Amino acid sequence: MRIRTLKYLLPLLAGMFILVLSLGSDKKEEEVQFVRPKGWPKPVYDLSKNKPTINGFKLGRKLFFDPILSRDGSTSCASCHTQWSAFTHVDHGLSHGINGLKGKRNSLTLFNLAWNKSFMWDGGINNLEVQPLGPITNPVEMDNTLENVVKKLDTAKGYRARFFLAFGDSGITGQRVLKAIAQFTVMFESFNSKYDKYVREEPGGEMTEQELHGLKLFRKNCASCHKEPLFTNYAFENVGLAVDTELKDYGRMAITHDPDDSLKFKVPSLRNVAMSYPYLHDGRFRTIRQVLDHYTDGIIQSPTLAKEFRKPMILTDQDKTDLIEFLKTLSDKDFLFDIRFRDWRD
Amino acid sequence: MKLQSFKVCYIVFLVLILAPVSSFGKTIPLNRGWITVIIDPVFNGEPLKMADQLYVNEHGDTIYIDLFRFYITNMRLSSESTTVSDTVSHLVDAEDEASATFHINNVPAGSYTSLQFTVGVDSITNTSGANGGDLDPAKGMYWVWNSGYIMAKLEGHSRVCKTLHHAFEFHIGGYMPPFNAARLVNVKLSHPVVVLNGCNTIVRLKADVAAWFKGNLDLSKLNSVVIPGKEANIIADNYAQMFSVE
Ligand code: HEC
Ligand code: HEC
Repeated sequence: MRIRTLKYLLPLLAGMFILVLSLGSDKKEEEVQFVRPKGWPKPVYDLSKNKPTINGFKLGRKLFFDPILSRDGSTSCASCHTQWSAFTHVDHGLSHGINGLKGKRNSLTLFNLAWNKSFMWDGGINNLEVQPLGPITNPVEMDNTLENVVKKLDTAKGYRARFFLAFGDSGITGQRVLKAIAQFTVMFESFNSKYDKYVREEPGGEMTEQELHGLKLFRKNCASCHKEPLFTNYAFENVGLAVDTELKDYGRMAITHDPDDSLKFKVPSLRNVAMSYPYLHDGRFRTIRQVLDHYTDGIIQSPTLAKEFRKPMILTDQDKTDLIEFLKTLSDKDFLFDIRFRDWRD
Repeated sequence: MKLQSFKVCYIVFLVLILAPVSSFGKTIPLNRGWITVIIDPVFNGEPLKMADQLYVNEHGDTIYIDLFRFYITNMRLSSESTTVSDTVSHLVDAEDEASATFHINNVPAGSYTSLQFTVGVDSITNTSGANGGDLDPAKGMYWVWNSGYIMAKLEGHSRVCKTLHHAFEFHIGGYMPPFNAARLVNVKLSHPVVVLNGCNTIVRLKADVAAWFKGNLDLSKLNSVVIPGKEANIIADNYAQMFSVE
């Protein structure tokens, strides 16, 4: 009796085992597991309130790539945030959206967003989940309203079922649209560059002499603002740029109304910076070297100028080359080519 | 109304007597009732009519009201021994009667002498991302470029406003000190709110739009406030005074 049961049970178990294994490997590319890398600070975003699940992530991905979010169906999030440039609007000084209208600012890179204390160049947006409201409602970006997006999604093919899978309820609400997009974007994590491997003493992390010299210069001149491991301290600083007379963008001051915040912009992370040209809040420089030339020779004095730039920063041409070589080690191919973040049209 | 609540009590009384017979062993919370708070939008005490009803504000300008909405958060009543509350944020819209009714259930019978709530949304909720229900950003009470809830909105028009369509708009919000526009309101109760076992006690409040124009607010000078700041704070101080018991 016992042997007979086993005889049936064994192949069955083996079959199930193989099935589970194959399912497992199938799912590999769809794993959504948020990671807090060793030694990194605690994320600011409260993941426990919106834990990414496969279905929430996939819904967020669909929304990110779907121009349905814009009033005339022309512009998606991905129009201005392409993966291979670390999700910025590559080659566009001022990002443009619907009808080709130009915005006021250069697009930002998107990764490690769970650590952001605030969003946008002026920090005006206070939580990852409400950030998409910015582009959705901006007349020069998507020019829509959240009410309208909810209505459109409600009648669009396939969305109700996806909301059901993601939230256990097919009701589409503004809250769920925003939570789903956050489940997708919070998974953009970048922590596997050559620099990271160097710090973790892993294979692939061997730095050249030149890169190491660049790192040394970086820690001396730059790390107070572009702080490791995230390469930003999330503060707002005035780096002595001339005010663009047409845009008249005074940055952080528009949010706080505090004259001490005049001309201050968010310190951007320098991870993947080699991929994300053009640079600065208005995209005025095409190369990292131009940024460095500004730091050494172009600083314009003003009352709110960062203390680091009050006396001249001295870097030789060779120093700049070495710094740039170091910054290139911050490019993270695992992130830039992660197939989970592509448009799956699923 | 008195008669009605008497009837309710009578039925509840019967139920209480019969209940033990029909359901052995089930516990019934004794000595509890509930409270319904209803907020009526008014102008100078009279029921508010939108759009084509003409009103005169403190400054003496003739005005029309087109939109009136505000959040009420954490409504609570206290007796000597206890406090009951409804911690949810509700969006009251003058054009939607149902939005102005609140229920606080499971209230210990007693005599409640204080009624408090916040007009607006607390600062934690302002930074906690995409909320649902009445706090869903799709409700149009959320600022996009400088995140945070619009605590209260009043829109209308007046000949004295030299603006497009003579419109005035007050979108009042801000949660970061010193420009926090949420206001804690203590409503003066002329007599205590008495809650009896098994009974619903109704409390009716007036929300008087005229209060927004206190301090001789001059619409020809101040007719658009749509960001946090000093002006928003002045108007928030005004709307904090708009509530009274009927
Ligand atoms: C028309 C181009 C455009 C579109 C469309 C667009 N963005 Fe952006 N995005 C930008 C620009 C420009 C900025 C920087 C804006 C600023 O600082 O004022 C930005 C900033 C961001 C940020 C802030 C990053 C940070 O570190 O602060 C996030 C997150 C983001 N976008 C996500 C999205 C999502 C999600 C969508 C789709 C709902 C979207 N974007 C659609 C151009 C766009
Ligand atoms: C006082 C703080 C501070 C210091 C020190 C500093 N930066 Fe920056 N950096 C900023 C800010 C703020 C911006 C964005 C300014 C803007 O767009 O207005 C920026 C922008 C950049 C950018 C453009 C990035 C992008 O995505 O647009 C690069 C590259 C850069 N910094 C490199 C460096 C290097 C290399 C050093 C050291 C030599 C350095 N920074 C020192 C604050 C600082």
